[in-house]
Amino acid sequence: MKIRSLAAVAVAGIALAACAPGTASKSKSADEQTGTLKVWLYDEANRAPKEKVVNAAVADFKAAHPKVNVEVGYIPTDAGPRAEKMKGAFNDPNSAPDVVEFGNTDLFGYVAAGGLADISADLDTWSEVGDLPKDLKDTTLVDGKTYGLPWWLGLRSLYYRTDVFTELGIKPPTSYAELVEAAKKVRSAKPDMFGIAVGGKYTFGGLPFVWAGGGDIATQQGGKYVATIDSPQSQAGVKAYTDLFGKDICPPQQCADLTGGKTVEAFAAGTAGMAILPNSSRSAVEAGVAKGKYAVVPLPGNTPGSIAPAFSGGNDLGVMKSSQHRSLAVDFMKILGGKKYQLQMFDAMGNLPTLASARGDVVAKDPWLKPFIDTLNAGTKFVPKDAAWAKIDAQSVVPTMFQKVVTGKSDVSGATGEAKTAIDNAFAGK
Amino acid sequence: MNRTSAVRPVGPRRVKGNRKVSRRIANTTAIVIALLTVFPLYWMVLSALKPDGEINSVDPRPWTWHPTLDNFRDAFGVSGFGGYFLNSLIVATVVVVLSGLVSFLAAVALTRFDFKFRTTILVMFLVAQMVPVEALTIPLFFLVRDIGTVAPGFGLSTLGSLMLVNLAFSLPFAIWMLRGFVKAIPESLEEAARIDGANRFTILWRILFPLVAPGLAATSVFSFITAWNDFVFAKTFILDTDHQTLPAALMVFFKPDENDWGGIMAASTLMTIPVLIFFVLVQRHLVSGLGGAVKD
Amino acid sequence: MTTTTTPARADRPAPAPVRPRGGANKTKSGRRRSWMPLWLLLPSAVILIPLFGYPLYQLGLLSFLEFGQPQASAGEVAEFVGFDNYSTLLGDDQFWDVLSQTVIFAAACVVATLAVGAALAVLLTRVGKWPRLLLLFAALGAWAAPAMTGSTVWMFLFDTNLGLVNEVLGMQGHNWFYEKWSAFALVGVVVVWHSFPFVMISLYAGIESIPVSVLEAARLDGASTWTTFRHVMLPILRPILTIVVIQSIIWDFKVFTQIYVMTGGGGIAGQNLVLNVYAYQKAFASSDYSLGAAIGVLMTLILLVVTVFYIRALRRSGEEL
Repeated sequence: MKIRSLAAVAVAGIALAACAPGTASKSKSADEQTGTLKVWLYDEANRAPKEKVVNAAVADFKAAHPKVNVEVGYIPTDAGPRAEKMKGAFNDPNSAPDVVEFGNTDLFGYVAAGGLADISADLDTWSEVGDLPKDLKDTTLVDGKTYGLPWWLGLRSLYYRTDVFTELGIKPPTSYAELVEAAKKVRSAKPDMFGIAVGGKYTFGGLPFVWAGGGDIATQQGGKYVATIDSPQSQAGVKAYTDLFGKDICPPQQCADLTGGKTVEAFAAGTAGMAILPNSSRSAVEAGVAKGKYAVVPLPGNTPGSIAPAFSGGNDLGVMKSSQHRSLAVDFMKILGGKKYQLQMFDAMGNLPTLASARGDVVAKDPWLKPFIDTLNAGTKFVPKDAAWAKIDAQSVVPTMFQKVVTGKSDVSGATGEAKTAIDNAFAGK
Repeated sequence: MNRTSAVRPVGPRRVKGNRKVSRRIANTTAIVIALLTVFPLYWMVLSALKPDGEINSVDPRPWTWHPTLDNFRDAFGVSGFGGYFLNSLIVATVVVVLSGLVSFLAAVALTRFDFKFRTTILVMFLVAQMVPVEALTIPLFFLVRDIGTVAPGFGLSTLGSLMLVNLAFSLPFAIWMLRGFVKAIPESLEEAARIDGANRFTILWRILFPLVAPGLAATSVFSFITAWNDFVFAKTFILDTDHQTLPAALMVFFKPDENDWGGIMAASTLMTIPVLIFFVLVQRHLVSGLGGAVKD
Repeated sequence: MTTTTTPARADRPAPAPVRPRGGANKTKSGRRRSWMPLWLLLPSAVILIPLFGYPLYQLGLLSFLEFGQPQASAGEVAEFVGFDNYSTLLGDDQFWDVLSQTVIFAAACVVATLAVGAALAVLLTRVGKWPRLLLLFAALGAWAAPAMTGSTVWMFLFDTNLGLVNEVLGMQGHNWFYEKWSAFALVGVVVVWHSFPFVMISLYAGIESIPVSVLEAARLDGASTWTTFRHVMLPILRPILTIVVIQSIIWDFKVFTQIYVMTGGGGIAGQNLVLNVYAYQKAFASSDYSLGAAIGVLMTLILLVVTVFYIRALRRSGEEL
């Protein structure tokens, strides 16, 4: 009894202030037709072209809603600051935006936090919804309800230096074994270069190797996710990726702590023979010394000619649950997420459109994209569609696993075992 | 000179005849250490002035022939640094003034009066400094949000919230430190004033306050640093970009893809300058003041 | 020598040998018992109780609840879980690793800061005017540099590819943050760089404030340098030393910015986590607010124990708060 009453006091106490956010964000969303519509988008490294396209979309929107003011804010792209910003918005509806851009893997955590509005009905009546491929739409579903509009895609493929490959007489790799061989050749001929730039913190650079051998982070069993990162297939994949961290390819001293972004930097700066980069890294690469001296092929799988499944990355647009301008927010989302601005965003930022017809247009226009489309068609993979992913990601479970193996702190079975425990704990809500 | 040789833990010990040599070694050591200490700051300013090509060169040189203000211009122009700078300055100034006043009163209470729980309160101020600020941001976030519903000027995304919270977190140390300064003022002065018929208010403001002023100056440095350097609160409470302060804005330059070192160094320089000015202004009081604390 | 360090009353402020005591004692009992101190403390109370005390109370409360993002924003009811958070924490090997490396790291920083600060304070008393001013201003510069910018600059100096240090040492490609203790050492250097000036300037000011006459008298009495130091200077410097040591312990144990910025939030595979950063990662990155709160509570308790231990040791040697 004593504990019970103590609990009651404790709960009452916390409800006094700390729990109040719950009640606050439950407050009904409204549907005002005037006022200011707040929009949060990602602050990219090179924001100016994006801003230009967005401003055009805002002008379009204002033409239809002359009495509405639109305020666009750009939030940090880095996982940590970004997550804080979004949590702040969930906890305090007053400072929250109406429309947000978010990474497609963030969706499940945001939905669990009660941050995003169910937009199933709104999308069903959208004129362009038929153009949206089903597999992409599925990435925005939680319990059968839609919470996001897929805005653009990011797929990773293998960038390599044509000049170096020609000089050394290497052909673009078509299997994992060839990849290793090519990387070693580059490194031994050019000690200043990484054979392939890989990073211990580069989750989506490493996961394709896990997927290539049939492994996965977790699989759904009876409606619940169970970690399979320690399965023999997964372990083989982890070994394949971490084997690339060696003095003869990418020295652990320099590569163990690299993020995906740093591998872009290395490749652009000409210090890597190969790198696993998304299509959106194009402008960064072409701003560096690698410009005009590189080409892209799909990341090879284990058997010759196969393609390692890529992570189907990208960003969605969504409407906040706390929005006071619900239908205006949906309208703006539809404009910015529609074909017209998807095409403009491709021209400005290289973001691959999600709408099938728009993608067809840009691929026809730009053969550079072919390896990415080949990768897409070969089948892509996704992270567990569960709120726990936010936690797994935030706790750096996968990078820690890679780093432990790379630095020799742990062997593959030990590191994957630890990762399994952490992942299963996250699914169990611990 | 011999008086301190016993406490000198480093350096060679010299016999009396070698005073000159010893002095020269001491001078040289001091200069070398001073240069080493200041070098990172020199490097910061230098890198801020270097053109982009030189910063990203793998062959860094400790000088530049082509100084440029581009990085500073970028900081102010592109990133709206001016506004953040002003925000930081406003918050820090308010915190310094209020914290000085409030801590002065508290320090007087804790040194000049004898009352129940005096030691307890003193210890509480010490314990308060041990609480990790980062952990407190969780409940504080909700508190500030709720304050905002009552007093909009102090809610989330306002400079007021930062002033309040930084004030609260600079107080324990300010009181603790100021206590030493107040203690160092001989009570006989107040005694004399009292005999002359001055009331408590006069004694407090006309006699004690001016005497403690140097100590207040020294203490204010710490309050200033607390407010100026704070990045956890700013990051957590300020959800819009208009009311952001410097440290959080500095993070803007850390990009996942490529760190703009020139921009980072220019921003860092701008962020260091006001603190440096503050220090130089009060340094005389800092040195004599801290010493005064023990002089009694 | 007159080393009256034993106080007359336990609650008196720390006395020193030259304190003018006449008349001060009689004021203790009568006249000064008034409401005045409460009025003087009122502003502090008005600020600290709601903005410090209340959140602190909530922090304690949180550590006994199950409180994550769904509770914070989706309106789920926080469940009282007793000591579950604490037992989770104490049963986690990583917590003990982090705790032990925090203690080692903080202790090393405290010792190094005090040693460097004290050594340089003494050095300051032995050099000419210009070297002294130079060192004082250099130290002020290091002190003034915000933790954030200081960490950034040092990081740049030690950058793997673009850093000056690697260039000078001919070690291009060497990553100072790869080895756990190499990373800790580098962060430690920055912490010491930031905090030695406080120690140095405080102690230097203390030494300078010792009246020459007192030292002269000691010399005339035939005291050796050691005796002079031990029985004349040390007692005078002790209050300052006490503050300096306590503050160093508190600050170094709570180092956050330097670790967070320089090792990118805890180093390779979290090898450079210290309690403060660990708590922050748990609370904010993983949205496990209650676990983060529990770490915060434990940290405060540990600091408390260390400080109490230190203060008691001082008391035993005749000093007090």
